[in-house]
Amino acid sequence: MQRGARDPAQEFEELRRLLLSREREQLRELSDRVSDKERRSQDIASVLPEAVKMSRERGDQLTRALQPAVEGSIKESVERRPQIFVDALHPLIGPIVRKSVAETLRRLLQSFNQTLEHTFSWRGLKWRWESLRTGRSFAEVVMLRSLVYRVQQLFLIHRETSLSLLHVTADPAITKDSDMVAGMLSAIQDFARDSFAPGEDSVLEEFRMGELQVWMVPGHYAYLAAVIQGNPSLELRPALQETIETVHVLKGSALAEFAGDASAFESLRPELESCLRAQYATARKDGKSTRAWIVIVVLAALLTAGIIVAANNRSKWKNFLGQLNAQPGLVVTDARQKWFSPSQVSGLRDASSADPAALARDAGLDPARIRFRWKGHLALDSVSVRRRVEQRFVVPDQARIAVNDGVLEIAGTVPYEWLDSVRHDATLIPGVKSVVERDVNITYDPALTRKRFEQQFRLPDTVNAAVVNGVLILSGEASHRWLMRARAAAVTLPGIKSLDDRALIDLDQRGFDQSKSIIESAFIYFLTDKDDIATEGFAALSRLPDEIRRCEKAAQQLGTDMTLEIQGYADAVGTENRNSDLRQRRANRVRDFLVSCGFEPERLKAISVEQPFKPAAGDKALPEQSQRRVALKVLTLLSNSSP
Amino acid sequence: MIQKKICMIGASGVGKTSLIAKFVHSMFSDKYLTTVGVKIDKKTVSVDGEEVMLMIWDLQGDDDYQRLQMSYLRGTSGYLLVADGTRQITLDQAIEIQGRVAEAIGPVPFLLALNKADLAPQWEIDQSRMDDLAARGWKPFKTSAKEGAGVEEAFVELGRQMIQPH
Repeated sequence: MQRGARDPAQEFEELRRLLLSREREQLRELSDRVSDKERRSQDIASVLPEAVKMSRERGDQLTRALQPAVEGSIKESVERRPQIFVDALHPLIGPIVRKSVAETLRRLLQSFNQTLEHTFSWRGLKWRWESLRTGRSFAEVVMLRSLVYRVQQLFLIHRETSLSLLHVTADPAITKDSDMVAGMLSAIQDFARDSFAPGEDSVLEEFRMGELQVWMVPGHYAYLAAVIQGNPSLELRPALQETIETVHVLKGSALAEFAGDASAFESLRPELESCLRAQYATARKDGKSTRAWIVIVVLAALLTAGIIVAANNRSKWKNFLGQLNAQPGLVVTDARQKWFSPSQVSGLRDASSADPAALARDAGLDPARIRFRWKGHLALDSVSVRRRVEQRFVVPDQARIAVNDGVLEIAGTVPYEWLDSVRHDATLIPGVKSVVERDVNITYDPALTRKRFEQQFRLPDTVNAAVVNGVLILSGEASHRWLMRARAAAVTLPGIKSLDDRALIDLDQRGFDQSKSIIESAFIYFLTDKDDIATEGFAALSRLPDEIRRCEKAAQQLGTDMTLEIQGYADAVGTENRNSDLRQRRANRVRDFLVSCGFEPERLKAISVEQPFKPAAGDKALPEQSQRRVALKVLTLLSNSSP
Repeated sequence: MIQKKICMIGASGVGKTSLIAKFVHSMFSDKYLTTVGVKIDKKTVSVDGEEVMLMIWDLQGDDDYQRLQMSYLRGTSGYLLVADGTRQITLDQAIEIQGRVAEAIGPVPFLLALNKADLAPQWEIDQSRMDDLAARGWKPFKTSAKEGAGVEEAFVELGRQMIQPH
């Protein structure tokens, strides 16, 4: 019962101890191993190489996981202790740099060669055009277009034995025996090296046959030979280089120990096939398509441009013909537009019409490319007639002319002479039937007016003429007849409104007046109470006939007849009856003398003149003798008006 | 299939090229011999049930005018030394060449083929020379390009020697 009285918890603990003591011991030991850092490190170290190896076989997860740590470690180490890396890398740096520089130069040269090759070729010109069109640099275009290539075959060849390790091809039809080709490639390399660079470890890197070229990329144990069609891009060689390096990384030991069994390298097929690049197919197709489109677009553009130019020319031509036909004096009877030879225009042309060549120029056509054939004619339309008038008469600035239905209308201010010539000659111009003046203001040139007067009136040398404000001013001396004519007709001349001849002496009038004065001042004295002429009376009488003739002639010039009144006087002595008879007899005596001299008796009137007054006694003013006389008086029709 | 590079070596006119012409798969013309100095052919032989592909580098004959291009021998697994049985001098030349080759590429399996075995009346290699060769450890094969005798056997034997562990 006492046993049954034990604490159940104690009993359970006892039971657990008995059952699990071994496992608990193991657990403790495991716990110690896990917590003991040194023991844990030993455990990991013993399995680490195997684990790494297995991990690499399963994939590259371990590589990626380790990458940051390894890179960090190397970086830190380089920063802290660079000398170790310098020592380690020193033997490698030289060859690497030399090889890198040589490779870069070689690529540069290849690029340069390609650029040169393409610069002057048809393809190069096309690329230049593409460069201009797209705005890309020429080098870029060349680069892009050079990407047309295809890697046809790739050989992986063992350097030592020259045996083909792997052969991949882009074209299954290629059935050449890769083993023998690989052998010959090696042989050719040996041949080239032995012939040109004996003793060196370099390899023949490429050779070319037409569009094909073979690139050889060497590795330590094996090399790649790529058969390439076209122009490979510059990226291909680094890709091949990377591939041969990958081959050596993956199969380095297999390559070193190669004894003829190539099956181990079959797993490299994906790596090699990745180098069978075939960018050419789409690039060429696109290229052809693009070129075709370019050609189509260019042709379409040229065609469109041609149509536009043709339509434009056609429109210009039509416009030109319209202009030609609208021109007064031009009648187009035939017009032919030609594209490859001069166009032709035929028709009728009035001499006054516009210049067709100038019209062509205005319409945007080249007159040199138009052959005109005109026949002369006289156009009777208003514009042509007006032009003809304008060509015949220089129309003054202030004058206006128009032609309507053959009537030449003149308006405005015009010089008399111009108007006069138009009045006389205008109707001689074809198309002008008559001349009408409307509100014409005529101006007269004084000099021309004077000249006109001079010609019209045969201006004597003794006369001076001038025109001032339309007044003809005459001075000097002129015959009565000329003067009369001038007075009568001068104002009928155009430009002469009135005449001023106050300064002009009438020569005939003056002669008449002088003769009349002489005749009337001649006293013929008689003896006392007789009709006998005193001695001094004879002297006066003898001069009279000539003077009377002169006077008659002058009167004739003045256009009138003259008569002589012969007045007989007597002194106051004696009776009136006696004296009257005496006076008559004395007058008759002189008349008879003049008749005897040839004068017509009808023109001589002898009269007795009663002394109108008796002189006062002692008046000496008139001597007595003077009372016994005969005096003459000239009578004319003008006598009343003329002195 | 295992591949092996072998070379055909001998003095000029011993019939190397004719010897193998009927037995190999060939894609290159004989003019390669006079231009590049080598022509490569291919032949598959069965050695003790195992297929071995021989890449046969037929080297231009060695004479006073054209010395053997030793670089072509690099990497070869064996070679066939060919002499003309009707001209003893070619045997002497073969022996001399072998000495040079061994010096250049080290000890690799080789076989001596005494060609033109069909021309028995003109045969110049007498028994004492054969004994002499045997003394050197050489086991000459008598071959005939005309009759095709001994050729296949020679290649098989050479193949065997090459794939045997030394």
